[in-house]
Amino acid sequence: MDIDRRAFIASLGGTAAVSLMGSEAKADALEHWMEDQLDEQAAVQGAPEKFPTVAELEAQIETRNYRRGTGNVFVNTRGNVKKLAPMPKNPTLQDFFRLRFAPANHVLQSATRALKTGMSEEIILACLLHDCAQALMKADHGWWGAQLFEPYIPEKSTFGIRYHQALRFYADADAGYEYPDLYYRIFGQDYTPPPHIEATYKMLRNHKWYMEPRLVTVNDLYAFDPNAKVSVDPFEDIIGRHFKTPKEGLGNDNSPSAHMWRTLANPDAPL
Amino acid sequence: MGLIALRTLLIPAFVACLTVTIAGQAGQSVNYKGLEVVATGIERAQNVALIDCPPTTNSQRGNARPGEEFAVVSLSFKVTPLFKETFVKKPVMTDASGKVYNTSVAIIDPGSVSEYKCSFPFRVPTGTRVATLQIDTASINLASLDKK
Repeated sequence: MDIDRRAFIASLGGTAAVSLMGSEAKADALEHWMEDQLDEQAAVQGAPEKFPTVAELEAQIETRNYRRGTGNVFVNTRGNVKKLAPMPKNPTLQDFFRLRFAPANHVLQSATRALKTGMSEEIILACLLHDCAQALMKADHGWWGAQLFEPYIPEKSTFGIRYHQALRFYADADAGYEYPDLYYRIFGQDYTPPPHIEATYKMLRNHKWYMEPRLVTVNDLYAFDPNAKVSVDPFEDIIGRHFKTPKEGLGNDNSPSAHMWRTLANPDAPL
Repeated sequence: MGLIALRTLLIPAFVACLTVTIAGQAGQSVNYKGLEVVATGIERAQNVALIDCPPTTNSQRGNARPGEEFAVVSLSFKVTPLFKETFVKKPVMTDASGKVYNTSVAIIDPGSVSEYKCSFPFRVPTGTRVATLQIDTASINLASLDKK
């Protein structure tokens, strides 16, 4: 099998991220990557991919030393965690992007697509932030993300972040959202959303802001390109206009979510 | 007064000429503001690549639900020097009964590459016969391409 070295390194977060990995972690990463490539080739060649069932995924739980819903800053599935760079005294959103959310390639791609397709600044901002809370917590990340950003961003952006988590399970051809393979792969091909997600979906269908989270899901789907070159720079103005950065810095401003920012800043605190 | 009356008549007529739909048959090129578009095929699938246009290397794929399928329309694009647009609307597809379908694929930076081919999946009830594809004011007859 040919190995595209550049794509492989990009999939790990770039050369800087690779340089921090031990040789065993690199070998594991390469094995995972080759498995993924084989899966993709099989899909391209028309062979239907075999997706796991919910029961098969549940059976894997006790094969890991971490839980799948754990935030990215707390776990490294391919080796030991590394010492994190300290945050500045008065950290901004951009500092968190650089030092805690990085590489953040997916959210940057998502926001770039929203920008290029002429969406509102509230939606572009929601796309930029929609999965950032996965650094803290993957399970229920829409609600965690909304709570994290709520004191600082427009209500519509918060609404989009919170509810994209529910809408992603429901295709909407009119809005251009299809049910992705990814969810067959990670939730199971026979997965049905729990009742609270179903109830949230029904509420949203009749909500005047339905399109806010829906457009987050639409851009979400098209933001898994391993070769995309993206940066936070094109969003500086939108962040400046819509993100109310506290002068004390995120985590130091006594907002309802300040503790979440502090946890992101220092996830090595033992208690 | 005569001149004003003439202007009143001519300006709407001129605007109507500008906004008239540009129509073409499958296999024939349709020129949309300097972007030449040709429909080259229609395929049916349950699982499709979700890749914007011009093509990226996005890795996601979409799935049809039971009773549905994707009608995947392939288009070939050629950018001529006349093409100045930075934004082109997503195509919409119409079936034989006139029902309109949307696609999730967006046309982004359409002038960034001189020639490219894209696939636009439209989720339709299984067996739907397609009729036309529209990109803003440009319309392409797809009926002869649809082997359903």
